[in-house]
Amino acid sequence: MSKLSALRRAAVITASSALAVSAVLVAGAPSASAAVKPKTGGILTFLEHTPRLDHYDPSRIYTGRDLAFMNSFMTRTLVAYNPVPGAAGATLVADLATNTGIPSNAAKTWKFTLRPGTTFEDGKKITCTDVQYGVSRVFATDVITDGPGYLQAWLNIPKDADGNSVFKGPYVKDPAGLAAFKKAVSCSKDDRTITFNLNKSVADFNYLGTYGVISPVQAKLDKGDKYDLRPQSTGPYKIAENSKTQLRLVRNSKWSKASDPVRTPYPDEVIIMFGYDEEVIDQIILEDTIPTAVNFAEPLSTNNDKFFSDAAFKNRRMNNPDPYARYFAFNVKAMPCIEIRQAMYYSRNAKALLDYAGGETYAGSFATGVISPLLATDYAPTKVVGPGSPDFIPTGNIPKALALMETAKTKCPADYKKATETGIKFDVRSSVTLNDTIPIDTAAYARAGIKVTFNPIASGYYPTVMNPDKQSDITASGWGADWANASTVIPELFASFGGFNISQNTSDPAYAAFEKGVNTAMLTTDRKKQAAMWKALDAQAMKNFWVLPTIFGKAQFVWGSQVGGVFFWVPQGNPAFGKMWVND
Amino acid sequence: MSPKSEIAQIPLNVGGIQGRSPRQIAWMRFKRNKVGVGAAIVSITILLLSLFAPLVAKIIGVDPDTLNLDVLDVSGIPEVGFTWDHPLGLIPGTGRDFLAQLLYGSRISFLIAILTTVTALTIGLFVGIIGGYFRGRIDNYLGRTTDFLLAFPAFFMIVALNQPVVARIEDSGIAQGNSARIIFLVFFLSFFGWPGFSRLIRSQVLSLREREFVTAAQAMGAGRWRIITKELIPNLWAPVIVVVSLSLPGYLAAEAVYSFLGLGVQPPASTWGILLSNATRYVTVMPSFFLIAAGSLVIVVLAFNLVGDALRDALDPKADR
Repeated sequence: MSKLSALRRAAVITASSALAVSAVLVAGAPSASAAVKPKTGGILTFLEHTPRLDHYDPSRIYTGRDLAFMNSFMTRTLVAYNPVPGAAGATLVADLATNTGIPSNAAKTWKFTLRPGTTFEDGKKITCTDVQYGVSRVFATDVITDGPGYLQAWLNIPKDADGNSVFKGPYVKDPAGLAAFKKAVSCSKDDRTITFNLNKSVADFNYLGTYGVISPVQAKLDKGDKYDLRPQSTGPYKIAENSKTQLRLVRNSKWSKASDPVRTPYPDEVIIMFGYDEEVIDQIILEDTIPTAVNFAEPLSTNNDKFFSDAAFKNRRMNNPDPYARYFAFNVKAMPCIEIRQAMYYSRNAKALLDYAGGETYAGSFATGVISPLLATDYAPTKVVGPGSPDFIPTGNIPKALALMETAKTKCPADYKKATETGIKFDVRSSVTLNDTIPIDTAAYARAGIKVTFNPIASGYYPTVMNPDKQSDITASGWGADWANASTVIPELFASFGGFNISQNTSDPAYAAFEKGVNTAMLTTDRKKQAAMWKALDAQAMKNFWVLPTIFGKAQFVWGSQVGGVFFWVPQGNPAFGKMWVND
Repeated sequence: MSPKSEIAQIPLNVGGIQGRSPRQIAWMRFKRNKVGVGAAIVSITILLLSLFAPLVAKIIGVDPDTLNLDVLDVSGIPEVGFTWDHPLGLIPGTGRDFLAQLLYGSRISFLIAILTTVTALTIGLFVGIIGGYFRGRIDNYLGRTTDFLLAFPAFFMIVALNQPVVARIEDSGIAQGNSARIIFLVFFLSFFGWPGFSRLIRSQVLSLREREFVTAAQAMGAGRWRIITKELIPNLWAPVIVVVSLSLPGYLAAEAVYSFLGLGVQPPASTWGILLSNATRYVTVMPSFFLIAAGSLVIVVLAFNLVGDALRDALDPKADR
């Protein structure tokens, strides 16, 4: 399937949404192999089609799968998600810390005390100074790129005139900046307790503690950008080889089980083999050529039926809702006419494209907004778009689209001319599936007289479309919440200060009121009231047609016959890699 | 050929010895090559089908753009097989008619192949004649230039330059979208294709200009222009025809390769390369799609190559047939 992989891939389901999640899991395919005793030893192999993972540096990983992988094997964080099946997997447990964070001062101050007996792979004891240094790195935004930006936004460090933090990271000599940083992130005298001072109340700050941006890094081993190639391990495995063909992890002898309540390493080695063709990977799993192999990505949609309709693969597959909401972001600056944006929504053949991607069984369901149903507390159908909205027809509501175009003809003739003559240009990720989806889209929009063209981007997709000079009229995208709060969705996607606003909506007349709502919601500590606000803001964003939501996705995973202990790790939207073992 | 038919032919020549022009000899030789004639019929048929694709599609009653999404199963495989409505079935994923797609797709493929051949040949002919006729320093410069171009890794340059150059063509306003991509492909394929032609023409010209009829023309005071146009070019047609018939299928296949790699024409337009790249995704679930698409390309390339071979045999005066 065409995977609109988002920058990040993590969604958290808190206990409050336990019911919804377990219902989903029951409905899905069997998610765990039969209860057998885990075996130690052997080599666990992951087959991957990309030439390498984006990042290994804990401060720079922001893709859910890679995060789940690295945190399972190599990177210890202050707190971690409990790697167990079902909703319990979303509970936070202490990892490097002895607790899951103690808030005070209306959640503006967060304290974590480090666990004794934890070391780096070279045997050095992990101290508060190491964590403090690790945190400081993200401020070097020109070197340590691509990671989450919450620390820069939340830590109580003065900002300069341009709104950037005065602290520029550890690679620039600046005693004043460093002093300001050390005031915001301080260590106790015994170097065991780290304290974060925030510039506002963040009730769920500790969820950020599951990300590698808050993890220990030894200052003397930090090579800046190059640290990405060979980061120091704090977990049960360390990198033995990072080459063009594979990433090989071997056991880290300095890691002790006694100091780690989360990880239970089983295989002797864990290997990711890169650069396999997707079809070849599927054939390897189908034929069970390498029984200890796991497909690191999803199977091709054309092969889904082979895996999921054959009982022989009963214990070697799973199919679960994933935390993503997929959407097309309108470049509002390039398409200021709301009627045309609406007409595009109504003339799109949502059903054909969902069916093409695998239908309700494999691809997911029609989206009603950008907040995924997996964020149960904050989710409600917006009733503006998608199922539940008055004019929604899965194959397209052509009369309505034509009426809107008729309005646009007189209201915004320039935009009308562009839509019907020059064509509206889509940014899409280069993929072989475009051969099919482009004809489907072209035919669908043509029903409303809208002409569309496509700009397939072969590499560097997000860096390209996030550059306003290079972005076209509409950009395909996908977003999953960072944890169970739509505060990691709505502001990120639609506010001017959000990290992933590709709608260019700030010039829209409706924007000012919207931002006011976002600011109010972010300062609301009553979670119930806040959830209601997010729901309303989701609906408001849809009403303004800043995006065209498409599907709430599903994800499939398949693995070989000798791999045991596979289950879906709900908060990471991926299998719990660290719990897998090899039978043979 | 059986002895009997040879005997049967004899009475035809009894009436006296007839003079035959080289063209007649060539045609007679070509007709005798059964494989060549068969291949020529296939090639011409396919060319005509491609040229009149809209008409043909209308007569058969198929249409390349209609999506038949409702007959696809959950994996996108059409549930209908070969029917009278869709003689080659439907394309998985979108349910468009396969035959119509092949017909329409061949138009862009042929367009690129023919345009490239013509452009490369024109440049090659021009440079080859000048180099071969004037020799000396001019030939030296032109020769080194062709050598220089021949040394370029053309394939990788086309792959690497594709996106920036297409973007530049679009920005300059010459053409948009697929027209820009076609221009890019034709330009670069002929840019790297003409040195081959040029070398061949040059060597022909080098040998022709020493022949008696050229010396005779020079003795009679004919100018350079007259010698080139009246004496040399008419004698170059034979190798040119052969080279064209051999390079056309080569460019046809090249277009398929670049489209297959996603560097050529882009959907919703269709070429054989796009059909092939589509087919590879469904090769395990619907092999017929791949086999027919690949088979069609094989048949066309093979037919054109066989015609080229037959023409070469027929036009070569030294061939023993």
